Amino acid sequence: MKQYHLLIVDDEKRFADMLAKRLSLRGCHCDVCYNGQQALDLIRQKDFFLILLDLHLPDIYGTEVLKRIKAISAQTPVVILTGHGTAEDRRACMQQGAYAFWHKPLGIEQLMVILARVREESA
Amino acid sequence: MIGRFRKTLGLIWPHFLRRDDEYLNPYFRFTDYRKIWGLGIFALVVAALLPLVAATSIHYRLIQKSVDSEIILRTERVASNARRAVTFFLEEHLNALRFTVSEIGYDQLTDPDHLAEILRNLKLGFGGLTDLSVIAHTGAQVAYAGPFNLEDRDYSNQRWFIECQKHHFYVSEIFRGYRDVPHIIIAVKSLWPNGSFFILRATLDTDRLIQTLSSYETGAHAEIFLINQSGIVQTSSKHHGEIFEKMSLPIPAYSLRTQVALAEDDQDGQKESLIVGYAYISTQIADTPFILMVIKHKAGMIKVWRRLRSNFNWFVLLDIIAILIVMPGACTFIVNILYLSDQQKAKTLALAEQNNQLASIGHLAAGVAHEINNPLALINETAGYVKDLFVFKKQFHQDEELIGYIDDILDAVERCGTITRQLLGFARKFEVKIQKVSLKEIISDVLVFHNKEAAYRNIQVHVEVPEDMPAIETDRGKLQQILMNLVNNAFQAVDNGCILDIKAAPAGADKVRIAIGDNGCGMPEETLPKIFEPFFTTKEGSKGTGLGLAITYGLVKKLGGEITVISKVDEGTTFTITLPTRILKEISENEGSTG
Repeated sequence: MKQYHLLIVDDEKRFADMLAKRLSLRGCHCDVCYNGQQALDLIRQKDFFLILLDLHLPDIYGTEVLKRIKAISAQTPVVILTGHGTAEDRRACMQQGAYAFWHKPLGIEQLMVILARVREESA
Repeated sequence: MIGRFRKTLGLIWPHFLRRDDEYLNPYFRFTDYRKIWGLGIFALVVAALLPLVAATSIHYRLIQKSVDSEIILRTERVASNARRAVTFFLEEHLNALRFTVSEIGYDQLTDPDHLAEILRNLKLGFGGLTDLSVIAHTGAQVAYAGPFNLEDRDYSNQRWFIECQKHHFYVSEIFRGYRDVPHIIIAVKSLWPNGSFFILRATLDTDRLIQTLSSYETGAHAEIFLINQSGIVQTSSKHHGEIFEKMSLPIPAYSLRTQVALAEDDQDGQKESLIVGYAYISTQIADTPFILMVIKHKAGMIKVWRRLRSNFNWFVLLDIIAILIVMPGACTFIVNILYLSDQQKAKTLALAEQNNQLASIGHLAAGVAHEINNPLALINETAGYVKDLFVFKKQFHQDEELIGYIDDILDAVERCGTITRQLLGFARKFEVKIQKVSLKEIISDVLVFHNKEAAYRNIQVHVEVPEDMPAIETDRGKLQQILMNLVNNAFQAVDNGCILDIKAAPAGADKVRIAIGDNGCGMPEETLPKIFEPFFTTKEGSKGTGLGLAITYGLVKKLGGEITVISKVDEGTTFTITLPTRILKEISENEGSTG
């Protein structure tokens, strides 16, 4: 089975780690970043199959991170996963090319559905 | 026709008398519309009637007064003219006798032929004389000319003789005398140088006098006659006594001038108002016993005016009736308008306040939801990971109890997540962002989330959207949420193996209709009116929050649409949304972005 490389960007460390572990169990390789700058640095170095991005990051706000990600790697799908997203955020993110916008908590099955869709589309 | 009548009646029907909107009282400007109505009618009616009644009565009084004074004036004029005529008649004859006595000597007067000659001449000159006689100072008649043989009579004891002897002139009352014909005696005394005297006496016909009097009678309601000073009627009267009878009216008080007075006559038990003009007749040279009476019957005189007044009274009565109909009608109309517009305003205010409250709740709920989402996500992932460990590493995967507990946690998190999402949706329902939306696309987007469940539960989903269905301009997010909620509901309502129908079609030129029907369990009719109320739920246990359809309803309204439901127990439920193809007026986003 092909290893899908995912990046999880979230300042809730335990959440991010836990999600990474669960995705690993489902055959995905996950990198985890706890702030925006770290994530951008990593993206410059590696290609990711999908990026899960929180909005409330300690250094750069999620929408700005998204904008910069799209500048670096426009084709990488970015799924926003946030506990605090406003309608304004949603609109901004969708405009800047986010693949989807989800509120936490998100069931792992739904996440897998999204992954499957991305996989189909990229195939 | 009937519709228009009802509409007109509706305008003046007092809607505020039976109010069923007391709960809106805090939002009403006035509360006691009955009182306003009553006072309004009272004020209007009084303001309209008072001047009318006052003006009418003042008008009547003025007319009454002027009619009275006019009648009095006219009566006075007639009395005064008639008096002059009677006075002139008597004076004329007295003067004729005076002239005769001073011009023609005693000897010639006592000559019967000569006297007859004089009588003839006087008759020619003045008329109305019947006979002439000369009476000596002893009272014996010494000469007579006339149709009756009254020679050698002795008048010394007669009243006229004594009076004439005293006053030099005499005018008698009208009396029948020896001949039984009404007549007047006038007499003039002539003195001899030796102190002795003789009297020339003439008998006057009353016909000419009566003719003169009756020529002054005007109309049927007036009569003119003479009485003497003891009230005996001298020339016949129609209503107040025959000749030589006592007059039915009291004798008027003496006056030098012509007088007019009001009197009442009691005839056959019926009181009648009279205008009585009178004058004591007195010539320049002698007093007379006559009083001239001019009697007018007031009722007859003012008959025309009475008829006019009766017409006028009818007019006033109609006017009053019109006022009594129109004023309350107008008042009802005005108070109605006031009440209805106030009611409209109160409803709007109440709704605005409710919306405000909902918006506040929305703010709060959104805040809470946000704060809860992160810990919830952590619980979700942690519990999920524990389960993953059991399942993937096959450590406790056979311990169903343990797995069950973890699933309980995951279910609970799922439910909490649903609630926070709904709360956020509730808070967000006040904003509208318009964009072009393809119905086909949005429906398939929504169904993506249910594909798996549909496949798993063997639920067939039929989507029917015409190929040429144009895109509509609306709020994508809201429409998505509406459809999501309805599809969710349908999925919850149907058993495995059922069918779900989603149809979209244009409805008229500027509307589209989306129907989502299932052949599931359906709902009883009595619950249908309540299903859009917040926190109303039919779902068993704690499966539903009761917010789904309330939010859906709010969203549809926000998009300017309508949502209806048809349902039959065991046959299924169909929700139909009608949306405008364009939202013309953007709803102001005064709620702010809270999502």
